[in-house]
Parts: sequence; structure tokens; C-alpha cells
Amino acid sequence: MGGIRREDLFLGKEDFMGRNDDESESELGSGSDSESEEVPSSEPSKRAIYNREGILEKLEDISWPENVDWIHKLAVDLEEDKDLDVNDDIVRELAFYTQALEGTRQAYAKLHSQGVAFFRPPDYYAEMVKTDSHMLKVKGRLLEQKKKIEEAEERKKARESKKMAKEVQAVKLKERAKQKKEDIESVKKWRKQRQRSGFGADKGEDLGFNFDGGGGGGGFERSKKKRPGVAPGDRSGGSAKRNVGGKEKANRKRERRDSKFGYGGRKGLKKQNNAATTDDLRGFNKGDFSSKKRKKNL
Amino acid sequence: MGKKRKLGQQAEVAEAATPEEVSAPQRPKRTLLGWKDGAVGPVQENSSSGAAGARGGVPVFRNKEKVLITCSRRIMSRYRHLMLNVVSLLPHCKKDNKVESKSSKGATLNELVELRNCSYCMFFECRKQKDLYLWMAKCPNGPSVKFLVNAVHTMEELKLTGNHLKGSRPILTFTTNFNKDPHWMLLKEMITQIFETPKDHRKSKPFHDHVFAFAIVDDHIWFRNYQIVNQGGIEETTLVEVGPRFCLNPIKIFGGSFGGPTLYENPFYISPNQIRALEKKKKAGKYATKVKAKTRRKMHELENPLEPDEFADLWRE
Repeated sequence: MGGIRREDLFLGKEDFMGRNDDESESELGSGSDSESEEVPSSEPSKRAIYNREGILEKLEDISWPENVDWIHKLAVDLEEDKDLDVNDDIVRELAFYTQALEGTRQAYAKLHSQGVAFFRPPDYYAEMVKTDSHMLKVKGRLLEQKKKIEEAEERKKARESKKMAKEVQAVKLKERAKQKKEDIESVKKWRKQRQRSGFGADKGEDLGFNFDGGGGGGGFERSKKKRPGVAPGDRSGGSAKRNVGGKEKANRKRERRDSKFGYGGRKGLKKQNNAATTDDLRGFNKGDFSSKKRKKNL
Repeated sequence: MGKKRKLGQQAEVAEAATPEEVSAPQRPKRTLLGWKDGAVGPVQENSSSGAAGARGGVPVFRNKEKVLITCSRRIMSRYRHLMLNVVSLLPHCKKDNKVESKSSKGATLNELVELRNCSYCMFFECRKQKDLYLWMAKCPNGPSVKFLVNAVHTMEELKLTGNHLKGSRPILTFTTNFNKDPHWMLLKEMITQIFETPKDHRKSKPFHDHVFAFAIVDDHIWFRNYQIVNQGGIEETTLVEVGPRFCLNPIKIFGGSFGGPTLYENPFYISPNQIRALEKKKKAGKYATKVKAKTRRKMHELENPLEPDEFADLWRE
């Protein structure tokens, strides 16, 4: 808030004096004593006039009679905060606010006991200090502020939820990886157990669970046998061609491509610009011109 | 103007006379200049109930303070708005034209106050398009105070969201350090008389919905104006600031109105001109020291010349 605090003045003065001293030391005597007279005093000046009797006399002159009704003055005295920091805006304003509020309560008590109406009834309309148009402006500003705060909060929430989702996703992936590992481990374990117990040697029984791809000790190596009705790269063993699910999968891909690139219909209309796409430059490569590259190279 | 004043006086008399019609049967006779057996000056009118007579020997008090509010020429818009805000807060004030801020302004203002039938004057004096001084003077016999006004916020600022009835009587709250020193006591009395709307003033409204806070902090008088928001009972009441805000730094108290013997001088007061001069000097000093250091260095070099280097010509052929 505006206003020049005395502390600032103290500081200013000290700086000034300090500099002055240095100067006078360094100088060869070009007499700058006249400056010091203009330096304002930060301490209470001794010559200040204070005529207590005169002031009290004047006070008696102008004051209203002693026995004047309180209702004429409506003045309330309140204890002030002794060590209030002037430069702390919030503390200072709070002190004024509490002073006013406490004063209001006391005044209300007094007026209420005298039977004087205090609050304005809600149906009492009269001219106000601020005009309606001004109050509209005030309201508009308040609403705008509220909106801004809400928007900021929303943005914050979205950011946080995004962060949360990322974490959740990471946990999920980790869990999935762990699950997979465990599965593989258990299969390996099971196989070892089987080998140890001697079943692994018997090929006839092994056909039932053809984990090794029929290769015995070959692990997950692909078998070199030709499979009837199955394409060479097909890992599903021909089931993709046969069953309905596989067909659907292929269709889905086709659908996606169709939706992306278009399928059927007249081509001419699609390739024309319309109002929405005229200014849409998203498809172009921005800022990656060859001229720039050349510049960089130079 | 004349007509207005007449009406006002008649209204006041009528109001004053009604309660004691039983005990005071005859009205005092009216003359062109006032009342025949009443006091003429506004001071006496205030201290005793001049015309309205006495009820059982006890004079009935009537607050008849009127405040003339005016400003100097070439006042800044912000300060002019502050003045207009004060005008809107005081229904018992009269606004007048701008007055040239010369050395003879005291006499002019005194005349003006007398012409407008006022007992107080608030004069907003703007100097150098920067500094606002506020005079509060009791006319015609003094005293008068000169303040420096700091930290001005007008009612138009949008962050002050309160609003209240125009002309409702404010509640004045003072901090207790107003009762500590004679000059603060005097200022408190003057502020009370200026800022309190007279009871039953014809432009006043019968409810109380705003409160003024006067606080002395750091030897300055801080002013705040709050709206009292009724939320069903005094305990739930909250305040909303209406404005304006300002901070008064008393400079001097004079015995007369706009002049007279000095009764009080603020020992801490430093005029804004001095402060600005100080800052300027600080800035100017920076350059001066630089120049001085340069010349000093030159002098030093001249006085202590370097010895000629004996190996300087070693590699020259």
C-alpha cells in the first residue's frame, strides 16, 4: 500500500549519510556541508511546537456539551492492538475489521436498549452510495474471479487424475508381467517335475499336451512339419481361418482402414475442401523447411 | 440557494419544537437574519439549543454542523474522486467550486464557508499533481488541521464490494489511543463532528448500515468504511468494505481557521518534496562519485609516475 513508512526514511537517511561520510573523507575539501542541513530528520525534531494548553483550550471551545446524548455522536472507543505491524497489510486490515465489528456490536447493544431501529428492513429501498451499474460491475468481477478459480481447479484436478492413471497403468503392466513370468515358471516347474518322475520319456503320452511343439527336448522351437491347411506363418494352427473370431479380427482391421481412408462412393467430393477444412493446416509439416535446415548448416 | 436554506431552517425548527410544545408555548420571533433571542453564531447554536428553548432549564442539544467540502484547482482525478466519495458519505455537507491554492486561500475559504453557512470546512489541496493535503477547519474561530493524505483508494475500485444507504448515520469507531494526547483528542472531536451525520437530518436515513473505523497506527490516522451486513442477528453480522480508504498524517494544528498560531507540529513529519529530493540526490550521487573516482585515479597516476622500464628496449634493434 502507498504511503511512505518511517523505516524507509530511516534507511534512506542512513544510506545517504554513509555515502556522504565516505565522500568527505575521500574529497580534498570541496565543502559539501550545505547538503547536510537539508537532510530531513528521522528523529523527532526538538523544535516542534506542542502547545498543550492551547490545544486543550481549543478542544473545550469546539467540543459539544459534556452531557450530550450518545445517539448524537455514535462514537465507540475500542482498545487497539499495541504492536501492530503497519507494513503487514493483512494483519493491519484485520485489525481495522475487528475494530469496526466490535464497535458495531457495542453500538447495536446501546441502540437496541434505546429501542432504535438498527438494521435496514429488507423491503426498505432507497438511494445507495454506489449506483446499481457500479454494483453490476463489481458483481461481474466477482463472478469472473470465481470462474477463473474454478477453471484453475479443474485443470489441477485433470492433471492429478492423469498422473494417477499413469501410475495405475504402470502397476497394471507390472502385475501383468509378473503374472506372465509366474505362469512360465509354473509351466517349467511342472515340466521338470514330469521329467523327474519319468513321464517325459514316454512319447505316446506326450501327444496330449504338445507344449514342445512335438519336438521333445526342443523347447519352444517351431516344428518343421508341414501342417495341412495352415499358412506357413500362421501361429494359431489354422484356427484363424476357420473360426468366426479370426474372421472378425480381420474385418475389424479392414473396417478401421476403411474409416481412415474411405471406401466406396464418389471420390471427387471427398477430396474437395470445404469450410471446415480450408484453414486446417494440420496435415502440413510445420517449421521444418529445407531453407531452415540450410541456414543451420551454414 | 436562499430558498433551500430557509426551508431547511424551518424544518429544523419544526422538528425541534415538536417535543416541547407542551412546555414551551410560544415560539421565538423570527427576524431576517435568524432568531431574536437565539444565538447567532453556529458555535453557540451547537453548544446550546439557541432557538429551540429550554425544557426545564436543560438546554436541548441539536447537532447543526455543516461541512463545506471543496478542493484546489488542478487536482488529480483520483483525489477528486476521493473528495466526491466523502461528499457522498456526508449528507450534511455542501460541495463548492474549486479554489485556487494560493497563499491567500485561507481568507477565500473562510469567506466561502461563511457564505455557505457552514461550521466546518474540508479542503482537499493537491500540489504538484502528486501530493494531497487535507485541511479540516472549524470555522470561523478555528482550530484547523493540515494532513498529508496517503494510501488513497476510492470507492470506485472494484475490489471494494460493499454498498450502503446514502445518508444513513455511520457508527464511528476510534481506537483508544485517540484519548492519549491532547492533539489526538482534538482531532477525535473534530472528526466526530465532521463525520457524524446529525440526528434527524433531513437527508439522513433512519437505519445504521455502515461503520467508520478510525485507527491511529504509526502516528497516522487510518480511515476505513465498512458495510454492516445483516444476516439475521447481531452475532452473525459481517462487514464488507465499501471504501474509500485513506491514511491521514497530521502535519500541523493551527489555532485559527486556515491560519493562526501553530498549536502542534508533527515532529516526525517529512514533506514528500524532501523525500523526493533525497532520492534524486541519491541517484545523482552515484554519478558524481564515479567521476570523482576517475579524477582521483588520474591525479594519482600523474603524481606517482611509473619508473622507466630498463628492459623496455631489450628486444628492439
